[in-house]
Amino acid sequence: MALMERELIRERPLEGRLVRLRARDLADEPLLWKWINDPEVTQNLMARYPYSHAAETEWLKTQTAPGYGEAGLGIETLVEGRLIGNIGLHRASAEDRRATLGIMIGEGDFRDRGYGTDAMRTLCRFGFAMMNMRRIELDVLATNPRAFHVYEKVGFQLEGTRREALWKFGRWIDIHMMGLHEGELRWD
Amino acid sequence: MVIAERKPWTELRPLEGRMVRLRALEPEDEPRLYEWFNDQEVIATAGGSGYAKSHAQEREWIEKAKNPNFERAEFGVVALVDGELIGTIGLRMTSPENRGANLGLTVGDKSRWNQGYGTDAMRVICRFGFEQMNLHRIELSAYADNRAGIRVYEKVGFKIEGTLRSHAFYGGRYLDGIVMGLLEDELILD
Repeated sequence: MALMERELIRERPLEGRLVRLRARDLADEPLLWKWINDPEVTQNLMARYPYSHAAETEWLKTQTAPGYGEAGLGIETLVEGRLIGNIGLHRASAEDRRATLGIMIGEGDFRDRGYGTDAMRTLCRFGFAMMNMRRIELDVLATNPRAFHVYEKVGFQLEGTRREALWKFGRWIDIHMMGLHEGELRWD
Repeated sequence: MVIAERKPWTELRPLEGRMVRLRALEPEDEPRLYEWFNDQEVIATAGGSGYAKSHAQEREWIEKAKNPNFERAEFGVVALVDGELIGTIGLRMTSPENRGANLGLTVGDKSRWNQGYGTDAMRVICRFGFEQMNLHRIELSAYADNRAGIRVYEKVGFKIEGTLRSHAFYGGRYLDGIVMGLLEDELILD
């Protein structure tokens, strides 16, 4: 980890170069609802069915107190202070010191501009340095090469592929399983 | 004495030692626990308060403790020789980030005192904590006058890390609290 990142973790553990990660509140629900019902977003997620405001609110209530078991956060741009997506470490196993990462950039204007990469690095650093994780894992659809590239760039390694594990849009989709260990996170 | 090695489990009995095994507590254990936790001589070794305990309190305690998990891994201590429940032991308030837990031990059956049961139970639970739960540190506190207990804790590798002066008022006087800690790889098995 570069020196700059070492310094940052003490003073601003949830801040990267482009984004900061913050807790979400119920006031964020309309934006989150919009994203989870946007096919541009959900084409790359497991989600298939539409979400009601009621369902989204129920889910959001489980997210408003980030902690070890469920560290879900909002991605906010440093410059505009705008909420552009969600990221989180989920289903942490204390004995195994690992968790599963999930991310979405909900605001289309902010895709392919480095915000997701920065959020990934910031959360992984938080997971290792603050939550004492040893391993972070994630799943990515084989139909999402942009995301796959981002995950590789920050250090995730392809560990296996679940063949035709998902049925969406009238076809079978492979799911890649990736993992990142402590000390493997890359900033440049 | 040799420091515990990270040797593979030769038998799949992670909760068994030489004299005791640890098992989950059951509602049926309530009468024994009621007896022990109302016995001032026992409570004095376990850092308890002097208040009497009701059956309702003991039932509730077991209800909360009966499913051991990472945050709270509470067990009954059973003597291998006759299968009798002789006490309780637990790792509590475990922090996943710090990988640290607080240990509490009560050998309630006084006829088993000073025979090595407590020492063996300590070794089993600490080994379980390190090898199965992936803990980094186990901490405990004892009243300063509990010399037998402190000797046992030191024997399995715990180090005295500090003294909380006049930490507890018990039996008409203030007692110092002794804080002890054991880091992974410091456990002494024999």
